Amino acid sequence: MERISSHQFTLLGSAVLMGTTFLPIASMVTGVAGRDSWLSVLPGFALGIPYGLMVLALMEQYPQKNLLQITEILWGKWISKIIGILYVLIMIYFGGLLLGQLGDMYESSIMPRTPIEMFYLGGLLLVLYLVKSGIEVFARFSEVLFPLIVFALVLNIGLSIPRVEQGELMPLLSQGMIPIFWGGTKIGPFVMEYILFLAGVLPFLSTNKGELLHLKRGLWKTIFLVGILNTLVVLIQISVFGPSETVNLVYGLLVLGKMVEVSKTIAGVESLFLGVWFAALVIKISAFFFAVIWGLKSIFNAKGFMCNLVVGIIFMGIALKFQKGPALKIEIGFVDNYLIFPFASVWVLTLWGMSYWKKKAGVS
Amino acid sequence: MGSWMKMIKELTIRPKGERKIRKSPSYSFDEDLNKPLSGETVKEILSKSSDVVFREFLLQGKERIPCMLVVVDGLVDKNLLDQFVLKPLMVDLVGHPELAQVTLANVIDKTMESLIPGIEVKKISKMGDAVDSILSGDSVIFFGSLTEAIVVGARGWANRGVNEPIAESVVKGPHEGFAETLRVNTSLLRRKIKHPSLRIISLKLGDMSNTDLVVTYIEKIASPDIVSEVLLRLSKIKMDSVIDVGYIEEMIEDNPYSPFPQVAYTERPDVLAGKLLEGKVGIMLDGTPITLVVPAILTQFLSVNEDYYQRAMTAILSRFVRYVGSFVAVVAPSVYIAVTTFHQEIIPTDLLMSISAGRQGVPFPALLEALTMTVVLEILQEAGLRLPKPIGQTIGIVGALIIGDAAVNAGLVSPLMVIIIGLTAVASYAIPYYDLSLAVRMMRFPLMILAGILGFFGVAMGLYAIAIHLLSLRSFGVPYTSPVAPLRIRAFLQDTFVRAPWWALKRRPQLMDVEEPRTNGKG
Repeated sequence: MERISSHQFTLLGSAVLMGTTFLPIASMVTGVAGRDSWLSVLPGFALGIPYGLMVLALMEQYPQKNLLQITEILWGKWISKIIGILYVLIMIYFGGLLLGQLGDMYESSIMPRTPIEMFYLGGLLLVLYLVKSGIEVFARFSEVLFPLIVFALVLNIGLSIPRVEQGELMPLLSQGMIPIFWGGTKIGPFVMEYILFLAGVLPFLSTNKGELLHLKRGLWKTIFLVGILNTLVVLIQISVFGPSETVNLVYGLLVLGKMVEVSKTIAGVESLFLGVWFAALVIKISAFFFAVIWGLKSIFNAKGFMCNLVVGIIFMGIALKFQKGPALKIEIGFVDNYLIFPFASVWVLTLWGMSYWKKKAGVS
Repeated sequence: MGSWMKMIKELTIRPKGERKIRKSPSYSFDEDLNKPLSGETVKEILSKSSDVVFREFLLQGKERIPCMLVVVDGLVDKNLLDQFVLKPLMVDLVGHPELAQVTLANVIDKTMESLIPGIEVKKISKMGDAVDSILSGDSVIFFGSLTEAIVVGARGWANRGVNEPIAESVVKGPHEGFAETLRVNTSLLRRKIKHPSLRIISLKLGDMSNTDLVVTYIEKIASPDIVSEVLLRLSKIKMDSVIDVGYIEEMIEDNPYSPFPQVAYTERPDVLAGKLLEGKVGIMLDGTPITLVVPAILTQFLSVNEDYYQRAMTAILSRFVRYVGSFVAVVAPSVYIAVTTFHQEIIPTDLLMSISAGRQGVPFPALLEALTMTVVLEILQEAGLRLPKPIGQTIGIVGALIIGDAAVNAGLVSPLMVIIIGLTAVASYAIPYYDLSLAVRMMRFPLMILAGILGFFGVAMGLYAIAIHLLSLRSFGVPYTSPVAPLRIRAFLQDTFVRAPWWALKRRPQLMDVEEPRTNGKG
């Protein structure tokens, strides 16, 4: 049985939670919360702490089981099968959309003449290779690449500082606290994507007491690290572009990358950053791919190369259906807000509530 | 169809159990080897070989005992045998009271106790042992019709001696290297680690070559799991001959289809000693100066023992140069292709104009230009490698200067391309291990093709695929990318990209769950 350490759990979790949230987040949150949107990012991500702790509590109670298996124990075979099918459908659909986002990102920003299918294929091949290599290799891949992703992000932010325009952030809280709350709700789906991955990865985590404490700490670190980084991303975009322009720029960070010039030697480094962030998307798509595989194994006991291949083809099909940027963005928003968020928040909360009640009541 | 599939399977899938390679044919004397020992049978088996010498003589004891000394000419020290075996038995001790008591019944014990003054003297009773001993360079004395014999160790043959290894030369550090004789090599190692915990386990490999092999490690520092895994994998090898460690390397590595080396090697006793003290296991083979070291991790291939002989700051700089060099060696041509073909926006205008001016008139796309130049470089490297030194240098000069210059003047390649290829070649020489440098050379081609098709996306894709491959490799159970991933923080900080000063290296690397503290740490 493959195992991942608490350190790997932290970095893998951070990479999955981060994904490429840093690309659309500023546009999404600023659209709702205006110039104070950067204040809503960290509280929005903080939603992951109670949910993450609930999932870890369930893991402690039912070691070596994923959330679908725990559902079967608590709610019976048929309800768990229905939830499992929903889980797989949501994950497979969203994973396919993310693959579409990968192609869209490259085609629209740096390589408009290359057929978009090439990007899908390239990304999918890497995902399949990662899935074939197993969760340990996936965790190690995140362990190596996540620091690079963060470095590229911080570098992009740092190199954009000279373009900051004073006064764009002021006045603070001019609209009060309400927009910040609504801004926070836009972050919720990102958190739930992570929670759904967490639901599947549980059997690969160690459940002894000491390790559990490390996992909980890892969860806190994940949420704060990703929350702070995304806060900085929103902050820099508002500071450079102003709130209204930030809303219009879907991939604002790439535009910042285009504007970078260092001592007349290096310019327009967004293609380099994109090279690194490609890894972020591969990690995120792989996380969903893994979740689908775990789900299929739990429900239908389906596994093996053919199963991976079929899932890969479905991913590709979904990506091909939503090639155009705006349609893709709308679809991702729809799945995030109306499928992932309600499904994960209700499922995990109810499951945890029931398990807690059973524990309290002493029902086996 | 079935036989084709069987053949393809045989060629591509390494068997998990015993690995039988080129089984040796059966011989008429195979059965004799299991029979009781007899001088006459040995003579029958070996008499067709002209290099085997059968020296018959009479021992003048209480009884006259016909004796026969069997040796292989060229594998024994004749002077030693004359002085300390034949002369005492045939001349010096004649009439001596000890010899006067010797009968056929007690000849073996008496000879071992008081007649032959050698160190390596032992009694054997099996035909197979006798033949093995003779062919390995020992001398065997048969006494009349007895079914026991005496083996006298008097091996001696022409050897290269202890020289500095050409492929692993150092500026600061010991200059001695292993030779082709196993015992010389074990003695060189023993001189470095004079501690009883140094274990040297002898094995034999190869049905026909009967090659001596030694597995060496330090008890309580090397992981017992790894030692037993090494012995297990070696025991599975069933080959007719083992001429070099390369034969073994492919049989024991974890992933035979990876271009990356998973077994390290060295020709230097100080390197081997250093690795054993870190908990690794050495495999030495008779007939080659190269010793295998397992388990091997990627970062190990980018560090050299000289790092530990220099001051820490210098070692850090050297390592940094090596890491940068290897990265440049992998990506330089592909980045050039990606930038000139797809991502001109990354280059500031002045530089872009200069590059464009250089490429003006070049009839080939950047990918073809780079591929051609890289292939030419590979040919030059391969041609120069095995040529005598002066000719090799000429090839280098002709290739690099004359052909390169002519190609630029003819407008076939751009000057920047020549610079990039030159830089790539120089950078790849910064990789200290030849096997890793070969792997890097292999990686360059797919990366260039990906860069030519998909620009930076392709380069990133290729690099990530290489990363996934490296992350999935293991060497004897140890993750190949350890201590970076999975992160072993102490090993990572103290001896990976940087080398901490010796006074800070208080513990051994945590590669194999070995937590024995080093004893040289301050306080």
